[in-house]
Amino acid sequence: MTIRSKEAQETRQLVEMSWDPITRIIGNLGIYTKIDFNNNEVVECKSTSSLFRGYSVFMRGKDPRDSHFITSRICGICGDNHATCSVYAQNMAYGIKTPPLGEWIINLGEAAEYMFDHTLFQDNLVFVDYCEQIVKETNPSLLRRAETTEAPHADVHGYRTIADIMRAFNPFTGAMYREALQVSRVTREMFCLMEGRHVHPSTLYPGGVGTVATPQLFTDYLSRLLRVLDFIKKVVPVNDDLFDFFYEALPGYEEVGRRRIMLGCWGSFQDPAVVDYDYRTMGEWGRGMFVTPGIVLDGELRTTSLVDINLGIRILLGSSYYDDWQNEEIFVSHDPLGNPVDRRHPWNQTTLPKPQKRDLADGNYSWVMSPRWYDDRTGDHLALDTGGGALARLWTTALAGIVDTGFVRATGHSVEINLPKSTLLPEMRFEWKVPQWSNTIERNRARIYFIAYSAAMAFHFLDKAMAEVRAGRTKVFTDFDVPDDAIGCGFHEAVRGVLSHHMVIRDGKIANYHPYPPTPWNASPRDSYGTPGPYEDAVQGMHIFEENGPENFKGIDIMRTVRSFDPCLPCGVHMYLGDGKVLKQVHSPTLGTSVSG
Amino acid sequence: MTGNIKVGRPQVRPDAPAHLKGVHEGNALGNYEKQPGHLPGGFSTAARSTGINPRDHDPIDPAMPNLSPA
Repeated sequence: MTIRSKEAQETRQLVEMSWDPITRIIGNLGIYTKIDFNNNEVVECKSTSSLFRGYSVFMRGKDPRDSHFITSRICGICGDNHATCSVYAQNMAYGIKTPPLGEWIINLGEAAEYMFDHTLFQDNLVFVDYCEQIVKETNPSLLRRAETTEAPHADVHGYRTIADIMRAFNPFTGAMYREALQVSRVTREMFCLMEGRHVHPSTLYPGGVGTVATPQLFTDYLSRLLRVLDFIKKVVPVNDDLFDFFYEALPGYEEVGRRRIMLGCWGSFQDPAVVDYDYRTMGEWGRGMFVTPGIVLDGELRTTSLVDINLGIRILLGSSYYDDWQNEEIFVSHDPLGNPVDRRHPWNQTTLPKPQKRDLADGNYSWVMSPRWYDDRTGDHLALDTGGGALARLWTTALAGIVDTGFVRATGHSVEINLPKSTLLPEMRFEWKVPQWSNTIERNRARIYFIAYSAAMAFHFLDKAMAEVRAGRTKVFTDFDVPDDAIGCGFHEAVRGVLSHHMVIRDGKIANYHPYPPTPWNASPRDSYGTPGPYEDAVQGMHIFEENGPENFKGIDIMRTVRSFDPCLPCGVHMYLGDGKVLKQVHSPTLGTSVSG
Repeated sequence: MTGNIKVGRPQVRPDAPAHLKGVHEGNALGNYEKQPGHLPGGFSTAARSTGINPRDHDPIDPAMPNLSPA
C-alpha cells in the first residue's frame, strides 16, 4: 500500500506570481497566484488590499446632511455614484422625495457617468489587454490569424480585419483609443451640465438638485449626446467582432474568468412617478427603476425586491484585518416592516480595525471585508459578484422583463436598445442577449452594451425632463428637517456594480454609516466560511492561454480576468517575477501518510 | 483608540462639524414658500432669478410656461 500511495503522489511545480499593486483609483489591489506552468493552470489565487479607508469610522458624529459630500470622496472616478446613493439614503431618513424634474436631472447625470466611465475603462484600459501590441507579445499565433480574419461588421465600423480592430486600440496611436478619449471628455461635460462638477457633484443634495433647469440645459446635453452616438454605434459591433473572434480562435476561452452565475444588481435610475423613498414600499419602487435590481443565481432571477436584497446582506470577516463586532451595539434590530435585521448587516456593523502583518499562507491578508448575500432558501452566504457592473445590470433587467421605455425594452431573455439617427449613422437597434456564461469576455461585452443602454435611456430622460419644463414645473428641490432619530438606506449602481449606503441617525447626528461599493464584493478575501471572493474564485483553476513560458510570462489571461470586473480603473500594472520562486507541493491521497516535500 | 489603532489627541471634538441646534438651516421646512418667485405646485416666476424688474422677464402670454432665466 505504501508503494502504491507513493506512486499516486502528484508533485506539482508551482511558481508564485504576484501583481501588486494592480493600481486603482483607490486602494492597492494585489493579486497573488500560484501557477502550474506544466499544466497551464492557476492553482491558487488570493486578492489583497493594503489600504485602510475608515469612512465608517470617521463618519460617526457628523452632520447627516454632509454625508453625500464626504462619501463622494470615497472614489475619484465614481464619486457621484456615492453622492447619489447617499442622497437616496438621506431621502429615506428625512422622509422626503425629489421633485420629478430633479429626479430626471440626477438620472441624466448618472447616465452620462455610465457612458463616460465605461468608455474610458473599456476602450482606454481594458482594450490595452486586447490590442495588437500586447497580443503580439502574448499570443503571436492569434495575431497572425486575426490578420486574415474578416470583421463581420466591417460595413458599420470600417475595420476590415480583426487585426485592424486590435490596431485601432493600440494605446496613444490607435484611432478608437484616441476617439474614446474624446468621447470621455464630452460625456464628462454632459455630466457637469447636470450635477455641476465631475466627479464630486456640487449641485446634488438630499431632496433634489441645485441645477437650474432651462431648455438650454437640456439642449446642451442633447447636442453632446448626439455627438457621441456615432461612436457608440460603431463601438458595439467592434466589441462583438473582437470578442466573438476570441471564442472562435481560442477554443475553451469561455472558461477564462468563468465562475458560477451569482450576480447582484441594486438597480439604477429612479422613476419619479413611483419612488417615494419609503422603506415600506421599497420593493415596489425598486422594481420601478429603469435598471431593475435583482439577484441572478445560476441563470435564474432569485429576487427583484430591494427589501429582500437589503435584509440578505451580511458582512463577514475571515481573512480581513478587523476585530469582530459580535459584542458591539445593535443599532437596528428590526426594519420598518418588522423584519429582523441581522447583527452582520451594515446597519449593525461596527468597524474595529486591527492592523497586522499580512499572512497569505493561512491568516488574514486584506483590509477588504467579505460582503455576502444570505440565501435563506439554502442557508448559503453567496459571494455575489457584479460582473463589472454592466453584466449584472443587463442580466437582471433582461430576466425581469419590466423596463420598457421605447428606447430600451427588456424582453425576459434579452434587452433591446434602440438608438435614434445620429450625425453619420441611421437609427440602429442592438440586442444584448443573456449569455451562457459569467466569464471575462461576457463581462467586457456587457460593458459596451451598457453604454448604448445609458445613451438610449438618456433620450427617454430628456423627453421626460423637457415635458416638465414645457409645463412650467421647474421645481427641482424640496425642503426638509433633519429628524433626531432615523434610519435610511440607499441602493444604486456604481459604474462597476452594486452600491449601498446604510445610515443611522441619532440626536440629529450620524450614529452609524456604512457604504458598500462594488469592489468589496468583487475583491473580497476568503470569508469565515472559507469561501473565496469573486476575483479569487474566477482566477483560481483557470486555464492559461498565453503562449509565453514562465520567463516572459505577462499573465495576460489573469489580468484580463481581474480587469473584466472593472476594479476601479487599473491604470498601471506592476508585476514582478524575479527568477520565479519554485515551490514543491506534494499531494498525498492517503490520509495519515506523511511525506516531506 | 479607534479599534486597536493608536491615534493622536483630537484637536476638535468629534462632533464639531455637526449641526448646532438653533442655527438657521437653509433646507428647513417652509423655506420654499418664503423665497420669492417660488410658487405652489412647483411653478416659478422670474423673481426666482432676479430682483431687478422681474416682471419684465415673465412671459408675455400668461398661457406660456414661466421659465425664469438661469
